[in-house]
Order: sequence, then structure tokens, then C-alpha cells
Amino acid sequence: MANLKRREAIAGISFLAPAYLLFVAFLLLPLLAGLLLSIFQADRLNLEFTYVGWENFDWIFNDRRFWKTFSNTFYFIALAVTGNVGLGLLLALALDRDIPGVMLYFFRLAYFLPVLVSLAFVSFIWQFLYSFDLGAINYYVKALGFAPIGWLKDKDVAMFSIVIMDVWKNVGFFMIIILASLQSVPKSLMEAARIDGASSFTTVMRIKLPFIAPVLLFCVAYATIGGLQVYDSIKILTNGGPGDATRSVVMYMVNEAFSAGELGTGAAAALTLLVVISIVIALQLGLARWWRRR
Amino acid sequence: MVTFQNSTTSMRVLSAFRVIHWRNVPVMIVLGIGAIFMLLPFMWMFAASMRPINEVYSLPPSFFPKEIQFESYRNVFDSPLPFFKMYSNSFVVAAVTTFGVILTSTMAAFAFSRLRFPGSTLLFASMLLGLMVPPALILIPLFFGMAEAGVLNSLWSLILPGLASPLAIFMMRQFMEGQPRVYEEAAFVDGASYWTIFRRISLPQMGPPIAAMSIIVFTTSWNNFLLPSVFIHKVELMTLPVGLVAMNSAFGAQSLSATMAAVTMSVLPLFIVFLVAQRFIVESVTSAGIKG
Repeated sequence: MANLKRREAIAGISFLAPAYLLFVAFLLLPLLAGLLLSIFQADRLNLEFTYVGWENFDWIFNDRRFWKTFSNTFYFIALAVTGNVGLGLLLALALDRDIPGVMLYFFRLAYFLPVLVSLAFVSFIWQFLYSFDLGAINYYVKALGFAPIGWLKDKDVAMFSIVIMDVWKNVGFFMIIILASLQSVPKSLMEAARIDGASSFTTVMRIKLPFIAPVLLFCVAYATIGGLQVYDSIKILTNGGPGDATRSVVMYMVNEAFSAGELGTGAAAALTLLVVISIVIALQLGLARWWRRR
Repeated sequence: MVTFQNSTTSMRVLSAFRVIHWRNVPVMIVLGIGAIFMLLPFMWMFAASMRPINEVYSLPPSFFPKEIQFESYRNVFDSPLPFFKMYSNSFVVAAVTTFGVILTSTMAAFAFSRLRFPGSTLLFASMLLGLMVPPALILIPLFFGMAEAGVLNSLWSLILPGLASPLAIFMMRQFMEGQPRVYEEAAFVDGASYWTIFRRISLPQMGPPIAAMSIIVFTTSWNNFLLPSVFIHKVELMTLPVGLVAMNSAFGAQSLSATMAAVTMSVLPLFIVFLVAQRFIVESVTSAGIKG
């Protein structure tokens, strides 16, 4: 019997080994190394490390560009979360009714298609659509009699252009998730509201929204965490410009580590981001628990 | 939604002629206009890729190709940068990653849900931690490790990090937990080895999650931009997302139609996957989102 048990344990560990070793090598160790790296100054060329303590953090916290990229990222998040979750909610509410199958198929296709295609690919399309002189969008802006807009050139507009593309790309994802949760609202609740003569606006405000609040919260947290890591779209559309108007934290980090060669300060920036992400996750979990207990 | 999911194709066509609730028509019209706007960028992409070279920048923009001609597609393949090689790089990386993730994650799921061994709970919990680590944060140590191991500037530097997928292990285990164990137990009593039980009994049951996970892993790998943009500097090793950036600047004056031809070819596999497995993808995203 003991023999059988040992055989099972050996089998279990051997079956797990490939996946776990990959996990340790390419996720766990890099994560720990990142924590360590942030308190060292590393020379990328001859791989020499010098312990510097908090110096890397001191450096980035005193770097005006670091705070600029942080505020850019939060500006992006504020706009993108509102756009993605807000519009996703409106679309889901619109779709949550009797719609013929063929049309539902078409709507799902159209709204969800951009979700599957990476920002790296669609950014090329939008780069041309946004082009100042020859872009499709400015053609119609001019046709309507307005002055052409510097979608990617004007520092007050560039972030909006990135957010518009981001919402176009991601709104379908949030729409699908919110729609699924709307459809799990118990039919009996809706029936009762209908019998009591509640208008559809009241039904949305008093029944549907409170019921799906935890899912909306998840969407906001998910979009925020995604937004904190925004990189591909900005890199291709504006490369952080004009000036530093659209540069994000991840761009700052990549730039520090790979262009300036300061692996340590890059790691410190990454760690700061990890702390912010953890706070967002903790907030979401805490708020969700509070909402359930209420 | 419910009737749609449970219906066959003929039923689906019939349901289109079901009584349309007239009060829903305005909402449907708004949704329809929105849907067309969602598709416009892709339509413009395709139309631009079909334009003759001397008309690439002419306005107004067109959303339907005036003629079908593949001149710009030929230009993509004739360009100094090896588009075909980039395409095959993307494919190799995505295919190897998908195969590796599916194999290792199903094996791990088998270990976690069918076998008892010391420390399994702790090991599983430690993997869940990995679910929360965003790729951008481990980029620097990864780069460093890849350089140390000497695989920087090779496709392995893109494949290896993709193989560590706690999400796949988590989803596979969740699925296996819901499956009955009696078949595995019967096979064990009959004296089958653990490997045979896994190969012949557990794996064939996991068709649906394997299909869903394959789509997720393949498209994630195909779309990956951050890793190759930092790890790969040789043109002949680039995958499509970073390769397109290099090509876009290399095309020069004719860039618009050639770039759009290259983008069209790059997104084609994603469109095909989506059209074939639309309902499937939407459902897997939904369940992952609701659980998360």
C-alpha cells in the first residue's frame, strides 16, 4: 500500500514538473529577480552589480518625467475606463432584448472582431486614418467645414486619439461580459417589476445595475490594470509624443532599461507599477466584498 | 440569446423571421450604425490594400475596393524585408507555444486533480500568484536571463516565456475537477500506467477547454508586441507585429497600400479563427470574465 502511494506521488510530481519548472523559470524567478534588481545598479554590458539600496527609487521619484508618464497613464486610464466600461454597458443594455438571431450574430461579429486583433496591427490602420493631411477622418472633418484636427500632432488631442482607438478595440470585450451578467438577472425580478408597472429606465436603475454591480466593478478594475500597462498603441501611434504628452509608464520603464541601459531604475519603475496594480486589485476585492455584505 | 445558442442552422435562419418587436427597432438601428462604424477601419484597410500605387493617397477615402488587384501584395513580398520569413516566424512561435502550453498544462491539471502528492495544494496556490503578474513587469529580468542563456535574438526567447501559463493550468484544472473520476479509477484497477490513463482517458475528455485555450494562446502569441520589440533585433527573426513596424518605414512613398496589404495578410488568420469559432470564443471570454 505504501508502495502504491509512493508511486502515485512520483507520478504526480513528474506530471507537474514540466509546467512548474517553466513557471518557476519564466515567471517566478524573473519576478523575484526584478525585486532584487531594483536595489542594484546593473551594468548591462559586463553584467556587474553594485548594491545601491533605495537610490534607484530616489532617482525615479525625483525624475519629473517619471511623474509625467504616471500622470499620462492615469489620464489615459480615466478616459479609457470611462469609454470602455461606459460604452460597453450602454451597448450591453441595448443588446439585452429580443433581437433576431441573424442580427445578434452580426452585432457580435462587428463589436467583438477588433478585440481579437492586436493593437500592434490595428495601430497601423489608425495611424493612416488619423493622418493630418491625407487621413480619412480629417477628410470628413474638412468636408463638414471644420479645420483639420492634429489627431496625433496636437498635444492636447493626441491622448484622445489613442483612447478612441483603445475604446474601438476593447469595448466589445466589456460589452460581452456585461451582457452575459445582464442575462443572468433572474426573470422573476424582471416580471415583478413589469407587473408593478416600472418603466424600463427604472428597471435599469433599480434592478439591473445593482444586480450587475460586482461585474461592473471587475470590468473597471480589469480595464484599470490593462490601462496601467498601456504600451503597444502609444508606441506605434505617437511613440510617446508630441513631446512627452502621451508617454506611458511602461514606455518610461522600457526606455530606462533598454535605451538608457539603466536596468536598476527600470526595475524600480516596474516595481512601483506592481505596487499600484496590487492596490487596484485589493481595492476591487475589498469593494466587491463590501457590496456583497451590504 | 438562449434560442440562438440551442438552435441549428435552419432554426437560426427561421428565427430571423420571428416577429420583430417594433419598439426595439430604433435601438437596433443605432446598434447597426455603430456596428458599421466598428467595421469601417477594417474595410478601409482592405480597400486601401487594393488601390493602385498612383492612387494610394487620393481622397475621398474608399471603403470598398474599386478593383481587385494584388499589385501591393506583390510589393510586400518583393520588399527588401523578408515578409514571408516574418510570417512563418510568427506562425512557428505561435504554434510551438500553443502545443507546449496545451501539453504541459493538461499534464499539470491531471497531476493537480487526479493524483495525490505532497505539497500539491501549496504548489497550486503558488501558481495562482503568477496569474497576477503582468508581462511588462518581468520584462527586464527576462531579458537579462535570456541574454545569460544566450537565446536572445532567437525565436526561443519568444517561445519560452510564452510557455509559462498559469491561466491555462488553472482553466484545465477547473475543467477536470468537474469531470467524473470513475473511468480513470477503473483503468487504474485494470493495471494501466498513469501515462496511459492520461493519454487514453483524461486527455480525450478535455476537447472543449483544449480548443478554447488553444485559440487564446495562439492569438495572444500572434499578437504579442512587447517581447519581440525588446528581444529581437535581427530582421529575419522578427515576428509580424514588430516586422510590420520595420516594413512600414522601409516602404517609403508607396507605404500606404503595401503596409495595408501586409496588415491585411497579418490579421487574416485571426479573422478566420474568429469566423470559425465565434460562438466558442465569446463563450470562453464570458465564462473567464464572470469567474474572474
